[in-house]
Amino acid sequence: MIPLVRLSGITKSLQGNQILTGVDLTVHSGEAIAVLGRSGSGKSTLLSLIGLFDRPDGGSYLLGERNITRLPERRAAALRSAEFGFVFQRFFLLKHLTAAQNVAMALVNGQGWLPRRKRRAKVMAALDRVGIAHLAKHRPPRLSGGEQQRVAIARALVREPRMLLADEPTGALDTETGNLVIDVLHEATKEGCGLVLVTHDWEHANRMDRVLRLSEGQLGEAR
Amino acid sequence: MIRLKGRLRSALIIGLQGIRARKLRTLLSIMSLFLGVLAVVVVQAASETARRAALGETELTMGKDGTLQMYVPTEGKALETALDTVKDRPDVVATTDMSAIIGEPKVTPINRGGMPFAAVAEGQGGPRLTRPDGGEFICGPRGCYPIGQKESSLPETPGQAIELRLSAMTGDVRQFKPFRQQSGQWLDFASAASLAPRIVLNKEAAKFFGTYAVPAEMRISGATANMTPQILGVVDDGIGEPRAYVRMDELQNWLPAEQLRQGGTGLQLLMEPHATDVMQILKTRLAASGLEFAQQLRAEPVDSRERVADQLALIRWVFLGMAGLVLLIGVAGILNVGLATVGERVEEFALRRAVGTSRSLLAGIVLAETLLTGLLTAGAAIGTGMLALNYVGRYLGKVHPVLATTEFPWQAGVAGVVAGLIAGLLGGLIPALRAARIPIATVMRA
Repeated sequence: MIPLVRLSGITKSLQGNQILTGVDLTVHSGEAIAVLGRSGSGKSTLLSLIGLFDRPDGGSYLLGERNITRLPERRAAALRSAEFGFVFQRFFLLKHLTAAQNVAMALVNGQGWLPRRKRRAKVMAALDRVGIAHLAKHRPPRLSGGEQQRVAIARALVREPRMLLADEPTGALDTETGNLVIDVLHEATKEGCGLVLVTHDWEHANRMDRVLRLSEGQLGEAR
Repeated sequence: MIRLKGRLRSALIIGLQGIRARKLRTLLSIMSLFLGVLAVVVVQAASETARRAALGETELTMGKDGTLQMYVPTEGKALETALDTVKDRPDVVATTDMSAIIGEPKVTPINRGGMPFAAVAEGQGGPRLTRPDGGEFICGPRGCYPIGQKESSLPETPGQAIELRLSAMTGDVRQFKPFRQQSGQWLDFASAASLAPRIVLNKEAAKFFGTYAVPAEMRISGATANMTPQILGVVDDGIGEPRAYVRMDELQNWLPAEQLRQGGTGLQLLMEPHATDVMQILKTRLAASGLEFAQQLRAEPVDSRERVADQLALIRWVFLGMAGLVLLIGVAGILNVGLATVGERVEEFALRRAVGTSRSLLAGIVLAETLLTGLLTAGAAIGTGMLALNYVGRYLGKVHPVLATTEFPWQAGVAGVVAGLIAGLLGGLIPALRAARIPIATVMRA
C-alpha cells in the first residue's frame, strides 16, 4: 500500500536555529498520528511543512508517489486546497461571516468554482458531519468554543481532503469539549482521511493509532 | 477561462463580504474619494457641455462637421452653370450674399454699412472714414459727421431704413447650418415662388425691426424694381450683423442673373459629404464653358468639431489636471484606509492562504474591495453630477439659454467610472501587495 505522506530526512531551520534535523514520517490513509513535544520543539514547524505552508531546507516530501518537496507557491496553494484540511488551536473564524460562510471559505478560494447550490450542499454536509448543521446561520460570536472549533473542522473537511492537520485543536477548550472535538477528528479517519494531531494532551494522543514525540529536531516513537 | 472565472468570482464575492463587514471604513474611503471623482465628473460634464454649446454656435456659422463647402467665382456664366447644376439636388445648397436696404426709399439707413444694433444704439456710428483733406468723420443713423461732434446735434434725416446682408439660397440651408427658429417660420422651399420675396430675419436684424418702424420696401442694387418683402420669422444664426434669408428663385424674379453676378459675393456651395459628384459635374461643365479656374475649384470639409476641440482642449486639460490632484488626495485616503485594514486582517489573509487561496488571488481580493469602493464612489459622484446638471438645466437655463438644453453627457459618466476604477486601483495596489506577502505561518504562530 502506497503511503499517503512520506517525509524523509526533513531538515528545517528558522532564523538560524535548526528546528528539524532529519525527520522521517510516514502517514497512511485512515491513520491517525499524534505528535507530542515540548513547546518550541518544532511540532508546528513540522505541521507547516506537511501542510505546504513552508518548504523544507533538506530531505524529501512525497505525497502519494509525487515529490512535492519544492513546489511553486501557486501549485502548493492548489494542493493545500485539494489535499489538506487544517484545524488550528485558535479557530480563526471570521466574525462577520456565518458558520456556513466560514465553511464555504475553503470552497471560494479560486481553486475551481462550484455553483452556489452545490456549494451550499457541500457546506451543509460538512456542518452535518460535525453535528452543527442547525447552527449554519449563526455567526461565531454566538457560538460556544466547541461549536466554533467544529465549524473550523467542517471548514477543514468540506473539500474532502486526504489529510487532516490539527495544531493543538483542543488547546482552547475544556476537557469535555476537547474530547468531542477529538471524536469528530477521529471519525474523519474512518473514512480514509489521514490525521496528524499536534497536542500536549496525553489522553488525546493515546486515542490515536500512533504516538510520536518530537525532540531535538528528531521524531521518535513515544508509545 | 473557467479557472479565471472562478478566481474572478471568488475575488468579487470575498471583496463584497469585506465591504459589507467594514461598512464604516468603506464609507470613509468613499468620502475621501468622492470629491476627487466628482471633480473629474464635473470637469468632464462641463467641458462636454461647453463643447456642445461651442459646437452648436460654430455649426450655426461654419456648418455641421463634415459638410463640404466650395466657393464658385461668378466669372462668365459660372453662376448660371452652378445654379443649374445644383438644381433639384436636395443634398446641395447654393447661397450668395448681397447688400439690401429695407425701409423708406432714398433715405440713409439707420445702420449704414449693415452695422449691428448695439453699435447704433450706443451711438458708436459706422466705420471711420477719412476725407481727402485728412479730416475724419463717422456715419450714423442721422448721417455723417466729424469725429468729436455729437450726433444728436445733427438735424434728423426724415424717414428710416435698415441695411442688412441678404442671403439667397437654392434650398434649405438648415440641413448644414442648424439655425434655431426664434419665432414665426422658416422659408418654404416646396411651395411655388412668390413675387413678394419671403424673408426670414436673423436675431440681430429683428432687433432693428422691433425698434424702428420701417415700411416693407426692399432695395437691392441692380434690381428691376424695389420689392415688397414678406417677413416670415426670425432665426438665431449665430451672426452678430443684421441678416435676412430669402429663396434664390424669389429673388431672381427681381434680380437678373447679370446683376446677381455683380452685386453678389460669389456662390457658396454647401454639400453633404457624399455629394462629391456635384463637384465633378460642375468642374466639368465650367471647364467646358472655357472657365480656367474650373480645375482649381476645391471642396473643403467643414471641421467644426476639430476647431472647437482645439479651442477647448487646453482649458479642459488644465481643469482635468486640477481634478486629478483632488483625486490623488482621495487616492491617498483610500490607500490609508486600505493599509490600516490589511494590518487588521493579517490573520484572515493568512488563513485564506492556508485554505488554498493563492497570493495573487489574495491581492485580487484586496483590489476587488478597493475597485468596488471606487465604483460605488463613482456611482455616488455621477448621481450627484446628474442631479446638479439637472438643476443647472432647469433653473439656470432660464437665465442663460445655452444651458437650457444641458444634459448629463455620457462621457462624464464614463470619466467618473474610469476615475473611480483608477483611484481604486492606485489606492488598493500597495495594500494588495502587502496582503499577498503575509506569511501563511502566521496562523501557526498565533
